[in-house]
Amino acid sequence: MAAETRRHRGIFNLAALLILWEVVGRLDLVAGGALPGFTEILARLWVDRADYPLHIWATLTASAVGFMLGNLAGIGAGVVFALSATALRLFRGVNVAIFALPPIAIAPILVLTLSGMAPRIVLAALGVYFVTMTSTVIGLSQADSRATDMIRAYGGTKRDVLRLVQFRGALPTILAGLRIAAPNAVLGAILAEFGGGGRWGLGAYLLGSLGRGEPDRLWGIGLVATLIAGASYGAFALLSTRFLGATRAVTLNTAVPTGKPDPGHPLKRAALAVGSLALPFLMWWAFIRLTGVPDMIAKTPLGVVDYLFVAPTAEAAQAKLLAALGQTLPITFLGMAAGLAFAFVLAISSKLIPHAVEAFTPVALVTQTMPLVALTPLLVLILGRGNALTLWVTISVTFFPAFVTLAQGIALVPRTAGDLPRVYGASLWTEMRMVTIPAALPYLFAATRLTVPRALLGVMIAEWLATGKGLGNLLNQSRGYLDYGMIWTVAAVSVGLSVAFYQLVVFTERRVLRRLGMTTAE
Amino acid sequence: MSAPDGIALAGVSKTFAGRGKVVEALRDVSLTCPAGSFTAIIGPSGCGKSTVMRIALGLETADTGEVRIVGDTPLAAARAGVTGVAFQDAALLPWRSVRRNVEVPLEVLRQKPAEHAERVQGMIELVGLKGFENALPGELSGGMRQRVAIARALVTHPQVLFMDEPFGALDQILRRQMNVELQRIWTETGSTALLVTHGIDEAVFLADRVVVMHADPGRIVEVVDVSFDRPRRPPLFSDPAFHKVCDHIAEVLHGG
Ligand SMILES: Nc1ncnc2c1ncn2[C@@H]1O[C@H](COP(=O)(O)OP(=O)(O)OP(=O)(O)O)[C@@H](O)[C@H]1O
Ligand SMILES: [Mg+2]
Repeated sequence: MAAETRRHRGIFNLAALLILWEVVGRLDLVAGGALPGFTEILARLWVDRADYPLHIWATLTASAVGFMLGNLAGIGAGVVFALSATALRLFRGVNVAIFALPPIAIAPILVLTLSGMAPRIVLAALGVYFVTMTSTVIGLSQADSRATDMIRAYGGTKRDVLRLVQFRGALPTILAGLRIAAPNAVLGAILAEFGGGGRWGLGAYLLGSLGRGEPDRLWGIGLVATLIAGASYGAFALLSTRFLGATRAVTLNTAVPTGKPDPGHPLKRAALAVGSLALPFLMWWAFIRLTGVPDMIAKTPLGVVDYLFVAPTAEAAQAKLLAALGQTLPITFLGMAAGLAFAFVLAISSKLIPHAVEAFTPVALVTQTMPLVALTPLLVLILGRGNALTLWVTISVTFFPAFVTLAQGIALVPRTAGDLPRVYGASLWTEMRMVTIPAALPYLFAATRLTVPRALLGVMIAEWLATGKGLGNLLNQSRGYLDYGMIWTVAAVSVGLSVAFYQLVVFTERRVLRRLGMTTAE
Repeated sequence: MSAPDGIALAGVSKTFAGRGKVVEALRDVSLTCPAGSFTAIIGPSGCGKSTVMRIALGLETADTGEVRIVGDTPLAAARAGVTGVAFQDAALLPWRSVRRNVEVPLEVLRQKPAEHAERVQGMIELVGLKGFENALPGELSGGMRQRVAIARALVTHPQVLFMDEPFGALDQILRRQMNVELQRIWTETGSTALLVTHGIDEAVFLADRVVVMHADPGRIVEVVDVSFDRPRRPPLFSDPAFHKVCDHIAEVLHGG
């Protein structure tokens, strides 16, 4: 009953939104027609219908192949990490780097080192790997300890436990991961198309149409890209709800989870830390050696150091890089802070004005499946090519995931926790201060961790496609100038920055939450 | 040369350290269960009953002391298919049907479930779940789930049978029925049985010896011999001699 009314309200909201869109679009109220009416977009889609199949096909094949390879790697790595804490520690650096890397930053170097569809596939796979790997590790290690005890009591080995309990138990978590990974693959493929030239693909189409000032076509492409990503999400959402039913344990497992396994000898720990730091660079080096691209084009870690500090052009390169950083970093922080702040305030006020927020939540959820940053060209139409564009892109790519994380976290706060202060006559504000805000804190950190790479990605895309400033622009320019050293340097620096900032958040999170006696939220 | 004891624990101690507090779960526990005997452990909640069992099963390692199952280490005994176990929690795999849950130990021991179909069916019928073979655990009541766990514990015809409050969720009538059934099965298989329970009457009805434990630290305070003739029948529950033994155990349990 309640679910039905909610669904009705959702449909009603959607219809209202579409009608509003149509009216605003028909009357050319936004930036002189930058937002066409919904039916105008559909009409244009029909006119362009001959163009689409090949573009869609190119994007779909790249994302599908990348999706499969990324999942293979993600699940394989997840199994290894679930079985061996040592491997997990050793690969921490690689995993964080893959999570934090802004895909657009490495698109050009993939194009330099690989050929054909490979860059798109790799970028799609990279977007998938982390999500799938994490959900596999979580799913496998969340196995019901009572069931694993039972297998072990019959002398079952780790493999028996994996086979009989963990795999099947992890399926819903893995499927939930695939649900998020699928749109990521589409996004990765589109971003590689931005960064790599090539004729076919929705990203290439979007980029090619950007200069022609035809809003209805750009919106049409955006709509199609969103539909593809959304459909891939929906397919896995359906699969995972079908599986969930029979997998939930019937009773609650109350066993105390055995904490982190003994970290071992300090020497071993130090070795692992060093190894985990060195491994990403080692893989970078091995990647170049394996692809066999000449040193002129492909720079190893040492090559980048050489370019930036030793070579005769080092000083000029440094100056360019610093100038770009000076433009990119402030706006990244500003956009991210604003996005997080909006999300925090809105999520918290879900206690004060539940209906308004409830109506908004489906919209926020839908955006989770959209290749948001890939839609930057649409924002260019509305906001032009100034800093406002960069800021809004960044805010929108941080706000939505942060809001979803926070809102879901706050929804987990047991109602009774809020009832207690109220029983003692506390005001709504006091209740917020005592219960809602502290309870939301772990999720604020989780949201920050999540949005660090996205914020940088948003800024770099806006810079690359539109504003002609900062790191994104430097990367794009260097492609034109065939300044290979700079391409690799910008890629390495932006990944490094993203990782460093991510680690900073993790570090702060641990300290703050430990002081408050809370645990981190996923 | 005599046969090795079914279960032998000698000088077992175990301390848990977690979340800033240290719990001495077991201090110097020694317990021998001769082959074919039935032993019950009784004691207040948290006195270490489950820990004794988990150590005997090789799921925890003792800090000190030695454990032998039919003369072997717990792991070797488990691998050889000597042990059977029913946990305090049914611990069924929620995605497997009743029949497939009962088959799990066979799969772990690398026996083909298809070759033992009859035995599996027999066990399901024994615990009164005929007609529920294909039901999922989520569709069963708490008591039915526990009966699946018992069928699962018996399906390998174990030489040594561990049971941790297997009848906890059953009503009194069913519980008595299951007690009688368990006695019958145990007599037939001749296995060494170790039963953890909170029911004094259940312990006295089933066991040759009742081990009484106290908490803080977990330790054995008395072992009470119960020498009623077998097979024991339900009327025993209202026998004055039976009540005398029960009263004595209750005294040990509550007294110093
Ligand atoms: N994995 C563990 N980590 C920390 N402490 C534990 C662990 N397992 C058991 N304990 C502690 O050891 C003590 C004995 O626990 P045990 O489960 O053996 O009790 P029990 O006698 O079976 O109780 P009950 O009758 O309630 O099942 C308890 O104080 C418990 O808190
Ligand atoms: Mg117990």
